[in-house]
Amino acid sequence: MNPIVSREFFGTLRMPRALAALIVLACAFSLLVLARWPSDAIVDLSGGQSRQVFRVFAYGMMVGILLLVPAFPATTLVRERIKGTLELLLNSPLHPFSIYAGKFAGLLLFAILLLLTSVPAAAACYAMGGLDLSRDLGAVYLTLAVLMLECVALGLLVGTVAQSPDAAVRLTYGLVFLIACLTPGPYYLLQGQPGLLTALAYWLRRLSPLPVIMHLVGDGGVGGQGLMESGSGAGEYVLVSLAFTGSVLGLTLFRLNHRLFDRSRSQGKITEEQPLAIRAARRVMFLVDPQRRKPGIPFYLNPVMVKEFRTRRFGRLHWLLRLVAACAALSLLLTLAATTGTMDWGVETIGGMMVMLQVFLIATITPSLAAGLVSSERESGGWDLLRMTTISGFRIATGKLVSVLWTLLLVLLATAPGYAVMMVIKPAMWLQVQLALACLLMTVVYTLSISAAVGSCFAKTAASTVTVYVVLMALFLGPLLVWLGREAPFGPTVVQNALLINPLGAALSVMKMPGFERFELIPGCWWASGGASLAALSVYFFRIWRLTWPL
Amino acid sequence: MSNGDPVVETNDLTKVFGEFTALDRLTISLNRGQILGFIGPNGAGKTTAIKILVGLMRPTSGSARIAGADCVRDARRIKRLVGYMPDRFGSYDNMRVREYLDFFGAVFGIARRERAKRINEVLETTGSTYMQDRFVESLSHGMQQRIGVARTLLHQPEVLILDEPANGLDPDARIEMRELLVRLAASGKTLIVTSHILPELSRICNIVAIITRGKLRVFGPLEQIMRTIRQRRICEVQLVDSSELEQARTTLVEALDETERPTITVIESESLLRFQSSRDDRDLAALLAHLVDRRVAIAQFREVPTDLEDAFLSVTREEKQEAEVVAK
Ligand SMILES: Nc1ncnc2c1ncn2[C@@H]1O[C@H](COP(=O)(O)OP(=O)(O)O)[C@@H](O)[C@H]1O
Ligand SMILES: [Mg+2]
Repeated sequence: MNPIVSREFFGTLRMPRALAALIVLACAFSLLVLARWPSDAIVDLSGGQSRQVFRVFAYGMMVGILLLVPAFPATTLVRERIKGTLELLLNSPLHPFSIYAGKFAGLLLFAILLLLTSVPAAAACYAMGGLDLSRDLGAVYLTLAVLMLECVALGLLVGTVAQSPDAAVRLTYGLVFLIACLTPGPYYLLQGQPGLLTALAYWLRRLSPLPVIMHLVGDGGVGGQGLMESGSGAGEYVLVSLAFTGSVLGLTLFRLNHRLFDRSRSQGKITEEQPLAIRAARRVMFLVDPQRRKPGIPFYLNPVMVKEFRTRRFGRLHWLLRLVAACAALSLLLTLAATTGTMDWGVETIGGMMVMLQVFLIATITPSLAAGLVSSERESGGWDLLRMTTISGFRIATGKLVSVLWTLLLVLLATAPGYAVMMVIKPAMWLQVQLALACLLMTVVYTLSISAAVGSCFAKTAASTVTVYVVLMALFLGPLLVWLGREAPFGPTVVQNALLINPLGAALSVMKMPGFERFELIPGCWWASGGASLAALSVYFFRIWRLTWPL
Repeated sequence: MSNGDPVVETNDLTKVFGEFTALDRLTISLNRGQILGFIGPNGAGKTTAIKILVGLMRPTSGSARIAGADCVRDARRIKRLVGYMPDRFGSYDNMRVREYLDFFGAVFGIARRERAKRINEVLETTGSTYMQDRFVESLSHGMQQRIGVARTLLHQPEVLILDEPANGLDPDARIEMRELLVRLAASGKTLIVTSHILPELSRICNIVAIITRGKLRVFGPLEQIMRTIRQRRICEVQLVDSSELEQARTTLVEALDETERPTITVIESESLLRFQSSRDDRDLAALLAHLVDRRVAIAQFREVPTDLEDAFLSVTREEKQEAEVVAK
């Protein structure tokens, strides 16, 4: 057998986070089935009850895979490269393809193990009746298995590009979520219209498992604008995704050789020394040129905050401005689309979509910025240097927090033009928009404090990034899963309480987003999220304070 | 504090990790302007001792003071007094050398204008002005070490504590580092420099502490240590012809006293005789004359040069034998 397979598989199994992932999944599935197991010896022969469980179960499994699988393939190659073992492997008689295949198989074995934890729950579901083995369960498992292949292939590809494990984790999660959640977007906007663009959008959508799963569990009509599709599209999904996985695989193999090590270090060119024409061009391109000589840190700014901004590639201002510009354009487009009547959505739906977009941005950007605040410092050895300076732990902690807060506030500002247009169309919404913005602000504080607190508990940035992503996604997607089952299996009280976990539900209910309008979340959400943020912040400050002490 | 007081002083400094004693009652003291060479093999406890000195670790028992400030209780004062360079560089991504130094200057609360001046000075001192716009993570190891020293100098500390500054440097970079350290000591700083290899330290330090397995084995001024080593100088007699070896040996046995006789070794393959002696140069010259009188054809008579390395080796060997005895 390929020696890499066993090394990869058992190596992964030995990681504490692998064990944690397995246990969490197994517990979640058993709890789910236990909660819905018929208590009164009467089995509903129509299978309605088992369908309800099946619905939450299928979504849950997809979310579980999206959350847990990408972390492992993303870090394995980067880690091997940093430790120097990849050089040894590439130097051995093993062909790069067998190295790749070995890693792929080992990781896949582990992913299958994760999937297997759900089999007892699925069996119980099936036992309740009303489900078809191949059309329901089989199709879901097939879709999820292909999704796993996709995740593993993407993670490995990112591993050949990224420079550090945490960058790899970030990039992989970003790509996976992009593919899973955003690829169906264009089709929803274009469906029903003839043309090549629509056809392209149709196939682009087939990259995502989301529409397939939605169709399989009976949510196919959501957002369908009355156009029902005949099949679930599982076959098309499998085809498109396998083709995609194949090309990702080819690209990875293309990079898995000397190219990985053959990188020139930045020579540190600065704009001041460039010819005048380039200087002028950069001025226009970047607005804030990252390559210019920076002035000294002024006394009124927290030096730790400035450092955080300067050391983040992403946090360097030119990136942020680009991102904000993109968001602003998107939100304006959405609003304009609504006003000019291209789409017959109400202002409520647009508002809801903007809120969703923003929460999505906040929830994906925050962990990448806040999870490694402390651990990256400890990993690079900078922490000992900081401890040897006269700056206080409190200033370190606040400087780091504020650096992320500014970034997030900028992201929040990005949709301001959209809201402004909305106000002009429907001035009566002023109070609603105010409340929604307050909820979004709360979301920022909430995600930031939780990311910082969870992240500060780890010594390794890759581990902290993965954990923070999983925790945050669970906090944000969990209530939505419960909300999906609002008719059944969950009752209104359960949904109401679940939505209180994060401020997103409140923001959506304030905007009167369809499906959320009947929940009364406003004062309760302040208390819950505020309390959680406060607790998380105390943990964060305590951790930093502890870490500044001599051992 | 008067000028005569020691700048760095440790008293029975001990650090225990669980059951393992990493540092065992370390007592040393150091005066202003001196360079302490803190030498020991890997895992001897050098980094542990240094971390306690700079206040990053708590000692299990014992105490340490730098310029009168206690390393445990006056942690904040220690930070101003000491410039510390850890054995890892501690780089940040996407930061240029100048921004990096600017950050640490700002963190020490140096005002902006003053800071710019200080940065120019330390870049000058360490000879790294030309790399001020490079990204720190793209620098070679030797350059990073120089930037590390520059960083420790920013807040004008009295005492510089450098952990393995020459580790992993090529010979050229090593010589540069050595010259830099000598310049710093000449400017009145007190230096503590650790190393697990000797040549780079033997020429610059004036106080030596050799530590193995957490225990201080040798401590004192360099000359004094060299003198004790000289008491056992090793001499070699190289003969022209190996057939005369036996004759030369009997002659030597006649001339040497009881303590020296057992140290004679004969290396036939090289026509070489080796012995240890505590005689001074005049006595050795007489011995040579005696050999020549007996018509032994001598190609070379020489003293095997001893340096810190031998001291280090003899100390570590003794310690190893000790450990073996304990193990039995
Ligand atoms: N935090 C720690 N916990 C347990 N053992 C440690 C710790 N730090 C160092 N040690 C042990 O103490 C000994 C001395 O380490 P160190 O001071 O780093 O040696 P060196 O002389 O090479 O700098 C080593 O055996 C090391 O394994
Ligand atoms: Mg060390």
